[in-house]
Amino acid sequence: MQFDDKSRVEKAKKRAVVNQTEVRNRVELFRHLPQYEHGTQLPDLESKFFRNDPMHRAVYKVGLQYLAGDITGGNARCIAMLQAFSEAIRDYTTPAEKTLTRDLTAKIGSYVSFLIECRPLSISMGNAIRFLKNRIAKLPLTLSESEAKTSLCLDIDRFINEKIILADRVIVRHASTKIRDGDVLLTYGSSCVVEMLLSHALELGKKFHVVIVDSRPKLEGQSLLRRLVANGLNCTYTHLNAVSYIMHEVTRVFLGASSILSNGTVYSRVGTAAVAMVANAFSVPVLICCEAYKFHERVQLDSICFNELGDPQAVAKVSGRGDVNYLGSLGNKDNLQLLNLMYDATPSEYISMIVTDYGMIPPTSVPVIVREYCRDQLWI
Amino acid sequence: MDFQVVVLAGGFSKKLVPLVSKEVPKALLPVANRPVLSYVLDLLEQSNLKDLIVVVEGSDAAFRVGGWISAAYLDRLHVDVAPVPEDIGTAGALRAISHHLTARDILVVSGDLVSDVPPGAVAAAHRRHDAVVTATLCSNPVSGPADSGSSGAKDKTKKPGRNIIGLDPSRQFLLHIAAGAELEKDLRVQKSILRAVGEMELRADLMDAHLYAIKRSVLLEVLDQKETFQSIKKDVLPYLVRSQLVTGEANHLSGYSFSAHNNLIHPSAELGSKTTVGPHCLLGEGSQMGDKCSVKRSVIGRHCRIGSSVKIVNSVVMDHVTIGDGCSVQGSVVCSNVQLQERVTLKDCQVGASYVVTAGSEYRGESLAKKEK
Repeated sequence: MQFDDKSRVEKAKKRAVVNQTEVRNRVELFRHLPQYEHGTQLPDLESKFFRNDPMHRAVYKVGLQYLAGDITGGNARCIAMLQAFSEAIRDYTTPAEKTLTRDLTAKIGSYVSFLIECRPLSISMGNAIRFLKNRIAKLPLTLSESEAKTSLCLDIDRFINEKIILADRVIVRHASTKIRDGDVLLTYGSSCVVEMLLSHALELGKKFHVVIVDSRPKLEGQSLLRRLVANGLNCTYTHLNAVSYIMHEVTRVFLGASSILSNGTVYSRVGTAAVAMVANAFSVPVLICCEAYKFHERVQLDSICFNELGDPQAVAKVSGRGDVNYLGSLGNKDNLQLLNLMYDATPSEYISMIVTDYGMIPPTSVPVIVREYCRDQLWI
Repeated sequence: MDFQVVVLAGGFSKKLVPLVSKEVPKALLPVANRPVLSYVLDLLEQSNLKDLIVVVEGSDAAFRVGGWISAAYLDRLHVDVAPVPEDIGTAGALRAISHHLTARDILVVSGDLVSDVPPGAVAAAHRRHDAVVTATLCSNPVSGPADSGSSGAKDKTKKPGRNIIGLDPSRQFLLHIAAGAELEKDLRVQKSILRAVGEMELRADLMDAHLYAIKRSVLLEVLDQKETFQSIKKDVLPYLVRSQLVTGEANHLSGYSFSAHNNLIHPSAELGSKTTVGPHCLLGEGSQMGDKCSVKRSVIGRHCRIGSSVKIVNSVVMDHVTIGDGCSVQGSVVCSNVQLQERVTLKDCQVGASYVVTAGSEYRGESLAKKEK
């Protein structure tokens, strides 16, 4: 939904579970994206905990975790959401005079709207929901209610297992063949697949050095750094402003992705495009590790038409430095707008190779995989 | 949402002897002219928690509390009053009603809690982190003016119980809790917890607000295995906090202390000339005050007759009290139907219901009660 269309926004607000107040000072270019006041959302949702809502408790819990930022990362969010849906389906009973398929689809739709209000869906989650709705629609009518529910829960478990967990293992096995002794690898932010890859390569006994590039405001690289150092890897940590200085030492760049679009564009954490561009300028190969369920048939040419806006105040603050408050008095001025983008789009010419669970492919082969293996959204 | 609420309303507490009597169990003592239990019930009603279990010690007290609740909350709440034998402690009370507990998580509230922390926030934090126990902590209430220090030496039990509470750096997880009595000896901290978290902040200025969310299966298991546990605050909670490693964490929210009333005077109250009523005061309906009186930081109940030149500072005066001229009441609690004759001075005293204090007497730090026949 485009948020600069006032009538549709009003309609959506009436149906909303979470009370969101919109930020007053918004950047013109991004008016089509939702931007809400960050401080009031979580207390408001918490105080509504015992309201007479037809929301299942597992879904409410996952919504709270998204809102509070407890769960981050495309895979973790998708798995948490699917497991909550699985629990909700197990507790579901068909009301009288209604068919299971239609009513359950409507219920899942209402859960999804609630989760969108807590935090906009990532593209991988959208694919997973489409898969689930497809499975519900394809249930044979002869099945009894309990058989249908068990079949759906089994399908969800199979999706999580095959498309995420096993896919990650395959990607790690393929990509670790690309790491040689003496390599200096660079990664940006914190991707769970890249972390698994580096740990696996260390177990295989390869000798390499890792450079972790991080950026404000999220500073996700720090948790990755802690885990890798605890595992015994030699690491270097730096911020995005120094990437062009450190790139001449790097031999390969491994990046994660939130999604890969049909024209080979990689949609990932903001800053990835900068890293890929600098690597390209230094002729360093860039490898993206991404599971196939994150591919989408959409085409995106820039980072503006589809994105997510985070908390603008997080840009003004420096974590760990309470004394740095240069923007403190300027917070409410009308001619200052703070923008905190969460994602950006990396053009395909900066990518050397994409490692997926279907093998190692060039960026131009993404529409082939989408066409061949995602027929009818069955993801078989 | 799979939560069950249990309100622990106590019974006839021995510590509050002149204030509680046969007609007034602890749960119905008035705070700012409303029975203290009503604050808890109103808060739960606002959060849409309509099915409650109220546990009262002693069948007499249970009868009174049940009667008051059904009169005051007839259609608004569905309350089950469960009487339990006296003196078994809060954990014992839960043990006695354990067969009534069916939901996945139990919200345990003390009947004398006055706060505006929404129980939804506690429950949401409990669910979000999948915690075993979620406790609410607040800063210690500020104690009275310095001149009560002299009576403090005589009566050590008047000091609020101090706790040592250990929190993790993000102030969200509870790592250590030790209640007042064990403070004289050394402090023992679990090494495994410290190793797992790395950094622990120890604070002595926090108080347990007695609003817990506990997972039912764990609660019943602990109550079954540990027969000697009497109190949730002193036994069950420290045991659960000690036995946690990184899994099974507890959680804390910084709560709110007593909300200050900024001078609410009921419209039917009459004030004489030159009478001053300071901030943080409450005057009930129908009360009459004489001339040149001064009321500071106090609560005065309904239909009181207060004479002239009376000074009431930092005190609680309940309903239907008659105070003669020239009295001075400081830091005291005066129950209903009491008569204070002229020129009585009360300092840090507690006067039980229907007592008559003779003219010109001076009392410091005493509790006066009518002798039970």
